[in-house]
Amino acid sequence: MWYKRTIPLILVFAIGVAAFVQEFVPAPWAGRFRENITLWFQIIGSFALFIGLYSLLHMHWTRIRRQTPGWAYSIFVFLAAGGMIAVGLYNEGKGPIIDVAQGTRTWLDRGYDYLIKPCTATIYSSMAFFMASAAFRTFRARNTAAVLMLVAALVVMFGRVPVSEVLGGWLGDPEMFSRITDVLMKYPNLAAKRAIMMGISLGAIAQSLRILLGVERSYMGGGD
Amino acid sequence: MPANDTQGLIRTRRIIYLLVAAAIIVPYVIQMPIPSFHAQEEAHKVYDRVESLPAGSRVLIAMEFDPNCEAELRPMAEGILRHCFARKLVPILVTTNYIAPALISDICQKIAKETGTVSGKDWVFLGYRPGMANVVITMGESIQRTFETDNFSQTTRDMPALAGVNSLKDVSLITVISLGDTVNMWIQYGSDRLKVPLVAGVTAVMAPDLYPYLNTGQVKGILAGLRGAADYELLLHRSDDAAKGMQVQSVAHGLLIALIIGANVRFLFRRAQGKEA
Repeated sequence: MWYKRTIPLILVFAIGVAAFVQEFVPAPWAGRFRENITLWFQIIGSFALFIGLYSLLHMHWTRIRRQTPGWAYSIFVFLAAGGMIAVGLYNEGKGPIIDVAQGTRTWLDRGYDYLIKPCTATIYSSMAFFMASAAFRTFRARNTAAVLMLVAALVVMFGRVPVSEVLGGWLGDPEMFSRITDVLMKYPNLAAKRAIMMGISLGAIAQSLRILLGVERSYMGGGD
Repeated sequence: MPANDTQGLIRTRRIIYLLVAAAIIVPYVIQMPIPSFHAQEEAHKVYDRVESLPAGSRVLIAMEFDPNCEAELRPMAEGILRHCFARKLVPILVTTNYIAPALISDICQKIAKETGTVSGKDWVFLGYRPGMANVVITMGESIQRTFETDNFSQTTRDMPALAGVNSLKDVSLITVISLGDTVNMWIQYGSDRLKVPLVAGVTAVMAPDLYPYLNTGQVKGILAGLRGAADYELLLHRSDDAAKGMQVQSVAHGLLIALIIGANVRFLFRRAQGKEA
């Protein structure tokens, strides 16, 4: 128990307090401490990468083995991960350490250009369809607050496109909708965002103190 | 939910998806004319800030985006890089996003080819380092120690593009082009600590989050979404991808506004008839 619980708690407390204190100390040792922390972060991050990869592959292997619905998609995880790792290690025959000449398009680059770029862009851009459908189905003027939000949303959406200047021009001021959008962003939006940020910050401080003082221990696993 | 309602919902969704697809594809294919527009105030602030720097100044450009938001943020990145080269400024590019380096490398090489500039001399792409805020903090101590080599494995010590630059304190402007909340990180650990002015280019959905910083002067200007990029192109007297995207955005926003208004008119009629609460 001492090994599993007390040592991690002491480590978290010591590193947490040191990281907090160095923020307020302009001495050279504080700078060196920061650099070392970054180095440690990178080292630990590298281990986390392996754990993440193992976890991902293990999950998908389990799906394939049990033939759960949609298991065939998991095969693509192995193909994609295996393929990218292979071409990354091969590195045009130079191995994973030596860089190929600047400007040379490697197989890794091609994987990035023809797999990662289109796939991530497709997933992100498909949100436009969901958002349009959700806005059509749920954005309703049910009460005064909803009407205000609806009008504000429509004005901001309209004020962000050049065609608003055409309609504004007919009404006497081409930049009318841009100006209204600016007012909405700079006052009501600002007030709401600031309140949310302050709330989040207070929550983060409270949570950090709970972790530093060992009250919050869920990061150690085991649910205690 | 009754079967009829489910069928209706599926049918409605399909129609909306088709309309959205048409609103995006048709204006792009037929090259609809773009109505003339004025650059918004915030884009002017970013432009003026870059414009005010003397030749030879170092501008740190943190490119914190990946292909997800390439359509929105790449035109911004390219616009700022073109502006820097036109003003003889020296961009120092960096990222803390692990998917970004190949994309940024592509952008750098495209603009370098277009402007005849050389990596290591006229600009430098330092590459990616894990650690997020820690990277910013250590760059505040020493850029060369944080990035001993650049993205192309060239040693950063004695690199002409970094001559006279030891840390973030020595750059004249920090520009963050970001898809997420990494702008906060650069403000908190970079510009605020070291008193270096910062401007940002973000996706349209992230822009509202930056207004508190704009109000306090911690962010000097914002390029918000594709419109922000189009404004920047307008200020540079160019018409590139962002300006062309304005046709698509105008039609797509118009469709969305029409859908919302249509749905509400239907809702109010149904409520008047007692069919909706």
